Amino acid sequence: MLAYRVPRKPSTPRIAIWRRLKRLGVAQVLDGLVALPLDSRTRESLEWIADDVLAAGGEATVWIAEVASLSQERALATRMAEAIASEYMAIATEAEAAAELEAWLRRRTLARLRRELHRIRRRDFFPPAERERAEAAVAQLAAALAEAVPR
Amino acid sequence: MKWATRRHCHIDRAACAWLIRRFLDPEAEFVFVDDPEELPPDATPFDMRGVELSHRGGDCSFETFLRRYELDDPVLWDVARIVHEADLDDDRYDAPEAPGFDVALRGLSMVVDDDRLLELTGPLFDGLYEFRKRALMLGREPA
Repeated sequence: MLAYRVPRKPSTPRIAIWRRLKRLGVAQVLDGLVALPLDSRTRESLEWIADDVLAAGGEATVWIAEVASLSQERALATRMAEAIASEYMAIATEAEAAAELEAWLRRRTLARLRRELHRIRRRDFFPPAERERAEAAVAQLAAALAEAVPR
Repeated sequence: MKWATRRHCHIDRAACAWLIRRFLDPEAEFVFVDDPEELPPDATPFDMRGVELSHRGGDCSFETFLRRYELDDPVLWDVARIVHEADLDDDRYDAPEAPGFDVALRGLSMVVDDDRLLELTGPLFDGLYEFRKRALMLGREPA
């Protein structure tokens, strides 16, 4: 868990820090308080960001924390799963819509969706059902391309 | 000289150790610690919180080394592109090689200790350096 405060101005480091936290898939507990499931990588990532917050003139502390109530822990995990589920849904929708495109554009879309899917999987700590749907839609797009365009 | 870093090395620390041995200090000796408190007083620490040779303003430690020691070899900066993305994955550079290096190093760190990891990754980085050097000279990937 990272407790942090970045000065409002200048806004560039503030935004850069926020983007990095978002990419890690943090759960926002409160304003200035974010959490990730504990492992050596997530801990290290938060520590590096904490250093950047300090370098930007802010305050930051990293905590190894435990939610005291099981139901609140579940609620937090559910919220993280829901956020990631909507990202998977966007991939699935785009992959399904790509079936209508011309072959060259489909191939390009496939490459991009695969990269995005890989990225989302990296910050997916509580895989929702939508993950399979997105993976299936991307696999379907790849299969259709392999059939349609002989190499 | 003695150099110290955190235990359980991943790509950034392995690449820094290679850089130290190959370009800065051929006699380098590495010490691995769990906590900054355990740092030997005669060792230069790297890739640890609160030390100079570490992550800095969005750079990974390997890039910090290149800046600090003014190593302006373009091949080293090309290697830095891959190390940065394998370590931070923040899309600052285009490095399609990075996910492969990330997996190779993470897998290796599961089956060998840190000393052995540095022994094995040394030739890997030598090879990467040679490959990227030829690629930069040819303007395309070597055969």
